[in-house]
Amino acid sequence: MNVLVWTLIVPLATGAAGALGGPRRVKEAVMVGGLLITFLLCLATGREFLDGAIPAAFGDALRVDGLSALVLVLCGFVGLLSATYGVGYLRRNESRSLVTPRMRREFYGLIPAYVFAMLLVSVSNNLGVLWIAVELTTLASVFLVTFHDRDTSLEAAWKFLVLGSLGLGFALLGTVLLFAAAQGRLGDDMSALNWTRFMAIAPRLHPFTLRLGVVFALIGYGTKAGLAPMHTWKPDAYREAPSPAVALMAVGMLNGALYCLLRIHLISKAALGPAFSGGLLLTLGLLSVLIAMPFILVQWNVKRLLAYSSIEHVGIMAVGVGLGAEAGVFGALLHMTYHSLAKPVSLFSAGTLAQLHSSSDFDRIGHGTFTRAPFASTLFVLAAVMITGSPPFGLFFSEMTILRAGFLGSHAVATSVFLAALVVLFCGFAFQVGRLVLGPPRDPAERRVPLPERFDLGTAAALGAAAIAVVSAFYLPAPLLALIHAATRVVWGAP
Amino acid sequence: MTANVLILCAAGMLVTAYLMVGQKALFTAIRLFGVQSLFLGIVATTIAFSESRPELLVTAALTVLLKTILIPWFLMRVIDRIGIHREIEPFLNVPASLLVCVGLTVVGYRVSTGFPEGTRGVSHHLIGVALSMLLIGLFLMVTRKKAITQILALLTVENAVFLVAVGVTSGMPFVVELGISFDVILAVLILGILVHRIVDRFESMDVSRLSKLKG
Repeated sequence: MNVLVWTLIVPLATGAAGALGGPRRVKEAVMVGGLLITFLLCLATGREFLDGAIPAAFGDALRVDGLSALVLVLCGFVGLLSATYGVGYLRRNESRSLVTPRMRREFYGLIPAYVFAMLLVSVSNNLGVLWIAVELTTLASVFLVTFHDRDTSLEAAWKFLVLGSLGLGFALLGTVLLFAAAQGRLGDDMSALNWTRFMAIAPRLHPFTLRLGVVFALIGYGTKAGLAPMHTWKPDAYREAPSPAVALMAVGMLNGALYCLLRIHLISKAALGPAFSGGLLLTLGLLSVLIAMPFILVQWNVKRLLAYSSIEHVGIMAVGVGLGAEAGVFGALLHMTYHSLAKPVSLFSAGTLAQLHSSSDFDRIGHGTFTRAPFASTLFVLAAVMITGSPPFGLFFSEMTILRAGFLGSHAVATSVFLAALVVLFCGFAFQVGRLVLGPPRDPAERRVPLPERFDLGTAAALGAAAIAVVSAFYLPAPLLALIHAATRVVWGAP
Repeated sequence: MTANVLILCAAGMLVTAYLMVGQKALFTAIRLFGVQSLFLGIVATTIAFSESRPELLVTAALTVLLKTILIPWFLMRVIDRIGIHREIEPFLNVPASLLVCVGLTVVGYRVSTGFPEGTRGVSHHLIGVALSMLLIGLFLMVTRKKAITQILALLTVENAVFLVAVGVTSGMPFVVELGISFDVILAVLILGILVHRIVDRFESMDVSRLSKLKG
């Protein structure tokens, strides 16, 4: 069996082992070890691709081109980070005896399972397998949303699953219609749904059926990506799920859903030209950035704040692709990479703050967290600087690349609106972070720390993630950059 | 003959969708969904014979087994355990809902004329019915409050997608369909578990009470 297959088997086996009983220490070691091996295997797969091979399995149902390789590596990376931080996160709850054996089984079983599903998404070439993999990510994460078993987590999980299933219903219809658009030219064996086969016959797809299918598929997978107006599950799920799981949603799932959108976009582009699905992506992306704006300004919860920031970022990526310029595509993929590196830092530090105060609501955390939790607060400010796209960090460069592509291309008006929204979002985010972190605690009760901050595994994981994110702004490893370029070639279409 | 059977079954599916809209007793709604899936099974079987595609028989068998027997049985058990049998007054009353659904059917049929197969004969009806059912499912989703009805709405959308799949393409590749069926049953199971937890917690399965999270 080749490396690609092992990349998928290892996290699955890790999840299965985690769902069984066993001493806590063993479970922790198995999860971190399993996902470390997974990450190394992802790197090996990426390496294999860069060496000129196209890793594939099961009759090309799984196939790694540049786009897949980039998403795969980022996914494996965030899987390892989340597992490490997750162990620290759960230990803190263990120290307060908040963890039941059921929670332990769910946590150590579902996190690797979720990683498995996301990796499967990122290497699916077969549109049917892709759909199944996305559905698996949804199913694997539902019980992570209900993890803390509050009234509100049931509400969030219900919305998440119903909206997610509806979105997937749409995506399935989209897939069926794409298949129908081929009018039997693809045959009816398993490989008929392969994306590569669709691309080969794209000009002969029936236009009306294809258009309808593309619309349904983009709306469906857009729901999973959290593009407005299908984003409403996101703030709720982010608030309720434990922070390590949210990091997987915000990076792995987001990248995976974007991967689906790009595959559909590429079929549509090859058959109908770039304007149709590109225009749709541009509209949805712009709408997401605009919708995030008011909600960030009036936000009352730190994890919901990060959810709206994630809606903003997926919007930025969609805009980058939708602009229909090579630089825009490159900017979007660069943005995806930097976002994957920076976002976990913000989620981990915000998660720690929430854990120390037993709540992620601003009015429960209070002001001036810097005096109570200096590590987490510093990291949160640093992360905020990075994810709002301030120089000298990576997201600044990717946003500039997209803006430049927009102004040089034919979408000057849309780009101006986009730029204005980015500025407002920056200010809103800075305001919220300042309110949370800076200044003296306003009332005496806020001086009391529910759980004192210690330098533990969770803090170390957040610190490590921050170090990597900061370094990446100045030095992107050459192979990673090569993967971004390879992914750009896939999305832009040049050989 | 084949054409008549197909059109009859498609019409049957549409009628059950309408009846679900006009129905407040949850047991009846679940049975209606079962009947609808049975019609879908017959459509798949008929096409399997008329176009000699034996693998569609497996699809048909799966549909009947899962959606006519297993899922309705499971949902009824959930209702029995929690003892809630009726949908409360929907956001829109029944006559108005039915009128809206007529409009949705017109839209569905109108869109179906754009397909290459869509302007004539059997496929026209299959696609028209499927798109109408899709819209009706969405409509049920937004106007009903009970968790079980929302699950049924979701399953109606799923049935509509399958009808398109067998009607337009004579079925997706078999392995993929197997995976999809597996995922659907898993989703319904998880939804059922969530309904249980919601009822335990809120002593109601009225999802309009799930409204603490805003902004």
